[in-house]
Amino acid sequence: MNPVAGIGLRSPHLSAIGREQPATGFLEIHAENYLAGSPALRAVERLRADYAFSIHAVGLSLGSAEGLDDAHLARVAALVKRLEPAWVSDHLSWSVSGGRYFNDLLPLPYTEEALEVVVRNIARLQDALGRQVSIENPSCYLRFAHSTLSEPAFLSELVRRSGCGLLLDPNNIVVTAHNLRLDPRDWLDGLPGPAITEYHLAGHATNDADGEPILIDDHGSRVSDAVWALFAEVVKRFGARPTLIEWDTDIPPLGVLLDEAARAAGVIETVVVAGGRDAARAA
Amino acid sequence: MPLALRDLQAAFAAHIVGADRADLAAAVAGDTIPAAARLGVHRHHVFASLGTALAETFPTVQALVGPDFFRGLARAFIGRVLPVQPVLSEYGVDFPAFIAGYEAARDLPYLADVARLDWALNLAFHAPPGDRLQAADLSAVPAERLPSMSIALAAGAVLINSRYPLDRIWETSQPGAGDETVDLNAGASYLLVLRRPDDATFASLSAGEAAFIETLAVGRSLERAAGTAFGADPAFDLSTAFARLLSLGAFAALQ
Repeated sequence: MNPVAGIGLRSPHLSAIGREQPATGFLEIHAENYLAGSPALRAVERLRADYAFSIHAVGLSLGSAEGLDDAHLARVAALVKRLEPAWVSDHLSWSVSGGRYFNDLLPLPYTEEALEVVVRNIARLQDALGRQVSIENPSCYLRFAHSTLSEPAFLSELVRRSGCGLLLDPNNIVVTAHNLRLDPRDWLDGLPGPAITEYHLAGHATNDADGEPILIDDHGSRVSDAVWALFAEVVKRFGARPTLIEWDTDIPPLGVLLDEAARAAGVIETVVVAGGRDAARAA
Repeated sequence: MPLALRDLQAAFAAHIVGADRADLAAAVAGDTIPAAARLGVHRHHVFASLGTALAETFPTVQALVGPDFFRGLARAFIGRVLPVQPVLSEYGVDFPAFIAGYEAARDLPYLADVARLDWALNLAFHAPPGDRLQAADLSAVPAERLPSMSIALAAGAVLINSRYPLDRIWETSQPGAGDETVDLNAGASYLLVLRRPDDATFASLSAGEAAFIETLAVGRSLERAAGTAFGADPAFDLSTAFARLLSLGAFAALQ
């Protein structure tokens, strides 16, 4: 059985997790924080004996028209080989242009040209790792006028052409839907459910953009009610998957993350058990 | 005709570092939130997140100047020098030199040296552990060969020299330090930065020890290093200094 809910491993919690060995389904690290070698990497290697791991990359820049950075790809591949995680993922976005790295998940136009670029880059990544990777739906703050596909249609086509998995983030869907005036439930229509390998959950902030609210995916608070509601809908439609609580800004004590993870496990439990009851009644 | 993806990304990159790209703004679907405000979310995130990364790598610089001044300093640097790859602990090698030429920090002439110390501690923290030279390793070497031997520094070990009392400046900038003042004319400092099993640290050296380490670091023999050390500091005592540096774990194991 798959682990139900896990937490993003952040450096302020590293020693507490090693000491307290909390019961959590799995741990996820950002690949880029463990490529340089450090005492933190050795601590993670020790934890690897007791926990399932997910490696989440943030800097492969799978949407870059100039292709992937060979040196960075080789370092990520070496880390994956070393830790042998259960899952590997990155985002549907780009962060490198002209050899400069912008440390942001920058948006793509959803066009046939971009689709071919991302499919080519994912193929290189999956070849280098010798395994499937999952691609996460981004938080969007803008839409390009020349896009010809919706984001979920782009992701579905990506799955079909590259064989990648999907990492579905309901918080990012809520952020994107608000910012681009979409209906988050419509967004879910037509997604290839069986390709989903993992769910992410996090908090977002509300900022002011020229007098109008814009949601910012800052991973700096508890998961919002709207996101919990959409998460329940996601689980109802696509089933249970390993679910991760992410927190990157104003990181709270470890117990808060574990509490959120327990709540996510509770949602899955409730939806799946209720779904099973409905199925039994229908039969 | 829409921009090709490569050109769109180049335009976006130029926009982030401050260029006015009408072609990019025109490519963003407009509505009640203008394209500039939507693009601004990304520009803001790039500068804020890289500023946070620099603050983590250069904590003593930030402690000395305060978060507001540091934000402006980081902004100016990021606008000039972006990372060339995504491992953020490897971003900032040019920051100390940038600080040395930063007009608004002219009143803090030691700030660039503090940045060099922060950077050296960061490199040492990420250095491979490696085996250290032990006194017993040397007892296996025939005595007549010792003077001509060269000994490599341990991975991450590096000497940071300053005209200022950098060790005192560093100590008084640590969290929880009292509001002691530092006499900036207290003289030069020679700090040997070292990787320890769980962190990085530094030790203050004498002028003689520093000259000794500096000469070994460029691959010269023990005899030559000792000679340079005597030249720098007539009170230099080779066996005391060598024992101290060995116990600090300054040297890599013999190959």
